Amino acid sequence: MDQSQFRLVIPSQTRYLNLVTGLAKRASLVAGLDDATAAKVSIAVDEAVTNVIIHAYGGEGEHSVELELRFTAEALEIHIWHSGRGIRGDQMVLPDPKEYIKHPRKGGLGLLLMSRFMDEVQFKADEVSGRNECCLIKKIS
Amino acid sequence: MADLSIAVRQVGDVAVLLPAGFINAHTVRDFEEGLEDLVEKGRYTILINCKDLSYISSAGLGAIMGLIETVREHGGDILLSNLQDNVFAIFDTLGFTQLYRVFTDEDQALAAASERKD
Repeated sequence: MDQSQFRLVIPSQTRYLNLVTGLAKRASLVAGLDDATAAKVSIAVDEAVTNVIIHAYGGEGEHSVELELRFTAEALEIHIWHSGRGIRGDQMVLPDPKEYIKHPRKGGLGLLLMSRFMDEVQFKADEVSGRNECCLIKKIS
Repeated sequence: MADLSIAVRQVGDVAVLLPAGFINAHTVRDFEEGLEDLVEKGRYTILINCKDLSYISSAGLGAIMGLIETVREHGGDILLSNLQDNVFAIFDTLGFTQLYRVFTDEDQALAAASERKD
């Protein structure tokens, strides 16, 4: 399978979010996705990296977040690795939008956006390295 | 250019808030403070004109969600206008267009806010 990829490592600081989302948007266009879909991918990446910085690392800025973008003929894959607190796939509880609207509150929407805007969202833990991964996949139609 | 700048002007009973730039976890506190400042001053009818807002993440949605009940309890509301396509997509995907009144432009939103007061 033809595949190309590259990696980016950023400090776990929200000031770099716009850099990452800009990259994700441009990468989506390079992968062949349209403008609207590229915008959605960039939002999903924003949410995933924000979760790492705020929740996995508790807002501590001295850690690192590693992103790898993989381009294949079938999909754009964005892998996000960190060494903070992980989440397992079975812990991913998505809020019900209808209930959310009835009872507005802060928080809880990031995972929902990620799942709605991407074709696949996977959370994995590597027990050997101790790192956690969030994988976002957008298929090229 | 700053990541996010916020301008506010008063049009009759409506406070018009104009965020310019993007709202994410890095800039959301400025946006939140802009909204909270209006509520503290008793300006409960707020129109967020999004014409210069290029991007909003769930952090920004949370800031709006956090105040919607307060303003409505005081007889006000939060209205939205001039949403760019990608910003509209976020609101629409989550079903929030049912929770907020969304208008094509500011004049329409101001007219609707005025009718509601009458």
